[in-house]
Amino acid sequence: MTLSYLIRRVFHALIVLVMVGIITFFVVRLAPGGPSLLADPKLSAVERQAIEERLGLNDPLPIQFTKWAGQTARGNLGNSFLYGAPTTDIIMTRLPNTLILAGTSLLLTLVVALPLGLASGLRPGSAFDRITSTVSLVFVAVPVFWFGLLLIILFAVTWRLLPAGGMNTAGQEGNLGDLLRHLILPAVVLSAASIAEILRYTRSSTRTVSTQDYVRTARAKGVGQWALRYRHVLRNAAIPILTAVGLQLPRLIGGAAITETIFGWPGMGRLSVEAALGRDYPLIMGITLFVALAVVTFNLLIDLMYPWLDPRVRAEA
Amino acid sequence: MPKRLFSVGLLTLGFTLALGSAQAQSGILKLPLINDPIMNPVIAPDLGSVLINKVIFPGLVRPNEDLLPEPDLAKSWTITNGGLVYTFNLRSDVKWHDGKPFTAADVVFTFKAATDPKSGSRLVSDFSSIKDIVAVNPTTVRFTLSRPFAPFLTLLGHNAGILPKHLLDGKPLNDATAFNRSTPIGTGPFKVTRVVPGASITLEANKDYYGNKPKLAGMVFKVVPDINAQVAQLRSGELDWVNVEPNSLTSLQNDPNITLKQANAVQHFLVFFNQKNPLFAPAKVRESMQYAVNRKAIIDGVLKGYADYPTGTLPTALKKYYDKTIKPIQYDPARAKALLAQAGWKPDAKGQLVNAKGEPFKFTLIVDRGNPSREQAALAVQQDLKKIGMDVTLQPLEFATLVRDYLIPGKYDANLIWWTTPPDPDQYAYYATGQDNNNAFFSNPRADELLKRGRETANVALRQQIYNSFQRLEMTDPPVLVLYYPKELQALRKNLGGVPDLGIRDALRHSEDFQLR
Repeated sequence: MTLSYLIRRVFHALIVLVMVGIITFFVVRLAPGGPSLLADPKLSAVERQAIEERLGLNDPLPIQFTKWAGQTARGNLGNSFLYGAPTTDIIMTRLPNTLILAGTSLLLTLVVALPLGLASGLRPGSAFDRITSTVSLVFVAVPVFWFGLLLIILFAVTWRLLPAGGMNTAGQEGNLGDLLRHLILPAVVLSAASIAEILRYTRSSTRTVSTQDYVRTARAKGVGQWALRYRHVLRNAAIPILTAVGLQLPRLIGGAAITETIFGWPGMGRLSVEAALGRDYPLIMGITLFVALAVVTFNLLIDLMYPWLDPRVRAEA
Repeated sequence: MPKRLFSVGLLTLGFTLALGSAQAQSGILKLPLINDPIMNPVIAPDLGSVLINKVIFPGLVRPNEDLLPEPDLAKSWTITNGGLVYTFNLRSDVKWHDGKPFTAADVVFTFKAATDPKSGSRLVSDFSSIKDIVAVNPTTVRFTLSRPFAPFLTLLGHNAGILPKHLLDGKPLNDATAFNRSTPIGTGPFKVTRVVPGASITLEANKDYYGNKPKLAGMVFKVVPDINAQVAQLRSGELDWVNVEPNSLTSLQNDPNITLKQANAVQHFLVFFNQKNPLFAPAKVRESMQYAVNRKAIIDGVLKGYADYPTGTLPTALKKYYDKTIKPIQYDPARAKALLAQAGWKPDAKGQLVNAKGEPFKFTLIVDRGNPSREQAALAVQQDLKKIGMDVTLQPLEFATLVRDYLIPGKYDANLIWWTTPPDPDQYAYYATGQDNNNAFFSNPRADELLKRGRETANVALRQQIYNSFQRLEMTDPPVLVLYYPKELQALRKNLGGVPDLGIRDALRHSEDFQLR
């Protein structure tokens, strides 16, 4: 790992961000419809004109782009149409909520999927393997909104064990117990598909590695079961698993839209839905750039972890 | 040892969860919103914002249970100069939520902002008749109108909540983010104490409220974007009142803790036929549609009976003006075909309607995507029109796209949509020639004259006659195809009382009378 490699990667990341910005800007502006602030058929021509002027929508598209690019380069993402407040402030208000939900879901994913996937991959064809494979297939296939509503009906409506939505009971903000109660259902729903995917990756990767010659050799040399699993199998199976986990992260940060909508969780996923439905151009651009930044950063971090896990990658880098 | 640690951990978690669940919220009414509201009645763009603003920002008048204006911030008023001058005597016992006194200057400030398009006001059209407004003294305000305008009082009680001059004067309303989003100051029975973005707005009873002392300790507006989640939260007791669509009824009807109510809504759901399109220009063609579409089947099947059968564009909710003696047009496809034949459209050998040149009666019906009632109603309309030989294509579109790219520029054939109007029969903006909201491009000189006279006539009996004539005219030259007058379906927790028999937006203007038993 050299400094020039790192600089090259950061430079590539910047190019990706610029491209994402340009493409998103034009795709969003050229999409049918317009800001929901203008979608009231009762607005008179005068009212409509005043709103368009205020939002800067009267300018030709190239001028709008130049203005946006100029202010973005200066670190100003503009004011949200819907909220009438700086886009950065709105994202920063929602980000901690998303991190709480995404972090819990990621933890839950790793704690459940890794051991089950490993155990499943080491005993292919066993009853345990068949059960985990079937269950994980079900969770990959089941629609998130259906699963979410099912849990709400069971745990909140029928058994009254957990709240049906929100992040806190109003007035209980800051109460950890209250937050945990609200966190359980959305975290389970958000991690269900991730658990299933990571479990299947872990199983497949473990299975591939455990049939390699060096594992058989190690076993023949009398390496203990635990050392064999940890040192020889899991460590070598880790790279594809890590890549799969890396792919989950942006989904957890920016794409938890359905889960956050069903559970009324005030995070980035729901914000992105609101922004898209309301054609809130500055907010859409802000969220997209933010998620793109998260994706390239995570990818960079994961790339940096490869050499640590696999000396062969270290030699290549 | 690890087992013991695990047990201790579980116990701690259980204790923490139990603590979290032990929250007493007696006397707090919980209502849903689908997104964060703008707490400023002059620039509020959506229904959710309108609802919470009803509680925070009273107007000069408010609608009573007959939807007629009754005193609110104004004690009384006089109308002089042939309906051109309205003078309001204001209450002298009103304080803003920050303790400052409410005066006539606040009313003047609010309406100057409301009539200025540059302020971002959504009320410009409602109050375009105001020529001048002056504060005669701290408790008297005088409006001078440029023309007699009968709906004026009703509109004052509709969305025109009064804003505090001392906090907003000189600032563009849209840039007053702190006020609009987190620290609104009104004069209503409840005041905002906490806003958690994306999650909730908490209000507590205003002890200085000038009207009846609020019976609730407070209110919480929770942001719950998904309607299914709203229904689930109502059933689990986390919400007390949810307005629902008929397709949600099955999950609520057998719940012993829920009461279902229906309120009259001042709405008419309709199909616009673009009258710039020669297909729909003849009145006979539009008249035939009224016979061709089985509106009772839509009301019974799609809306589960929660709607009134229509007669023209004036909904039954406007009890004073709706003429019950007019016989509604019933489903009669044979009559529809006969009228179409008179207009030059006859079925060919395959049963398709064609004109003398052999061209088919072909058009596209657009509807907004995502609302099951409207999508099903559009499908029913398409099928009924197909039965009489019309070639109708159904095209669902996202609402913003439908309005901006199709409706406003008039690039559509037919469109299923709805109008929600103030509780007044004035429909000049919707159906008079060349008006901004006349999206069907309807034009009928007699209708223009009636609609103009209707909005200028203050005498109720005379207005009744005018609007009854308009209703009759619509039977033979319908501006649009009215499908139904929907009922607002309210699902409430059984312990919620004191709610007047009004739609939610008007009922919330009486929130000081709500109580949780």
